[in-house]
Amino acid sequence: MAVVLPLATRTAGAMEALPKRVTSHMSGGRDLWSPPLEAAPDDPEEAVWSALGEVLDPEIPVSLVELGLVYGVAVRDGRVEVRLTYTATACPCMEFIREDVADRLGQESWVREVRLVEVWDPPWTTDRITPDGRARLRRLGVGA
Amino acid sequence: MSATLMVDALDVPTRAALRRLVITLADSKRLMGIRYSDWLLGAPTIETGIAASSMAQDEWGHARLLYAMLKDFGEDPVAVEHERPDEDYASVDPLDAQFPDWAAVVAGMVVVDGALSVALEGFAGGRFEPARTRVPKMLAEEEFHRSLAVAWYRRLSQASEEARSLLRAATQSMLPPLLTWLGAADEAAERMVAEGVTRPGAELVAAFRTAVGPLLSEAQVDVDAFEPAGEWDPRRGRGPGHPDGEALERARGDRNRMLFVE
Repeated sequence: MAVVLPLATRTAGAMEALPKRVTSHMSGGRDLWSPPLEAAPDDPEEAVWSALGEVLDPEIPVSLVELGLVYGVAVRDGRVEVRLTYTATACPCMEFIREDVADRLGQESWVREVRLVEVWDPPWTTDRITPDGRARLRRLGVGA
Repeated sequence: MSATLMVDALDVPTRAALRRLVITLADSKRLMGIRYSDWLLGAPTIETGIAASSMAQDEWGHARLLYAMLKDFGEDPVAVEHERPDEDYASVDPLDAQFPDWAAVVAGMVVVDGALSVALEGFAGGRFEPARTRVPKMLAEEEFHRSLAVAWYRRLSQASEEARSLLRAATQSMLPPLLTWLGAADEAAERMVAEGVTRPGAELVAAFRTAVGPLLSEAQVDVDAFEPAGEWDPRRGRGPGHPDGEALERARGDRNRMLFVE
C-alpha cells in the first residue's frame, strides 16, 4: 500500500507554530526535531534516515528507526520513498506516524514529495529493535 | 512455487473466485473482532476483557488488510467494508450470532479463529502476492490468540461439569459448518486450488483437525467424529444466512456514517 503524503507544513513552518516550551514531547517528538538543512545534502538517503531517526513513536519516546519500523529509504530528485511497517496490523497510531513522517521530512526544502509504502513483509517483531532502541527502552523500564 | 499471480491476468470466473476468498476471510475477521468486542466488559476477569479488546483490535487490523486487497480488483475497500447489505456478508456461519456465554467465546477462539488461521496459512502459502506479504504478520499476531485460547480451553475442560458441558456444546455446534467452509470443493474453491492460490479443502480440513484435535479431546470432543454439514451458498462461500443486523450495523459503522472522513 503506498500513500503520497501531503507536505502541508513545509511552507507554514510547523516548528514556528509550536509553543516555545513544552513539558513533554509532542507528537512524533517534534519539539526535539533538528532545524531543516540549509542546503540539499550530499547523501540525501542518509539525511532521510537521520531525519526519521528523530521521529518518535507516538506512544513511547523511541524513534521509528530504533524500533526497526523503517524498512528502506530511496530518494530521487527530491522525491522520497519510505518503506515503513507498524508494530501491529491495527496499530492505533498509524495516522500519527504518517503525519509525523510527512511533517519531519517536509521541513526540508529539498524534499519535494514523500511517498510512504506500507509493508508487512517481513513481519515486524521485537527482534528488529536496534541495540540503541533496546537500551533506550530499558532506560524507560521496558524490556524488549 | 510458480510465478506470482496477478489479478489483471485472471479470467472473469477466476477473479470472482479469488474475490470470494478475500471477502469471506475479511468479513470473518471483521465479525470475529466484533464477537470478541462483545465481551470486553463481560469476560470472567479484567485481564481477559483486556485480552478480548486486543484480539478484537488485531482482527479488525487483519480485516482492514484483507479488504485492502480488493484494490487490485479495481474496487474501493472502504465501500466494500462500509456499504454492503446484510445478505452480501460472507463471514463463517458460527459468527452469525453473538457468543451466548464465555464457554462459547473460548470455543470460538479455538475452533473459529483456529479455522481462520488454517485458511490464512493456505492463502499465505499460495501464489497471490498480497497474501504472501501481508498474511504472515496476521498469523504472527494470531499466535497470541492461540495461547490465550489454549489456556482457557484447558481451564474450562478441567472446570465444573456445567462448564465442560457448555464448552462441548459450543464446540460441537461450530465444527460442522467450519468443516464445510474449510473443505469447500465447489467450482470457485477448485479454481483457487488450480491457480495455486490456496490448498485443497481436504488438506485444510486435515490441517485443522491436526491443529485442534488434541486440545478438543481434553473436553472429550473428538474432532474426527465430525463431518461437514449444512447448506452452502456458492455465491458467498458460506451457508445461506448472514450475521445479525446489530453486528452488521457495527461492522458497517451505520450510526457513524456521517462522520466518515476516509
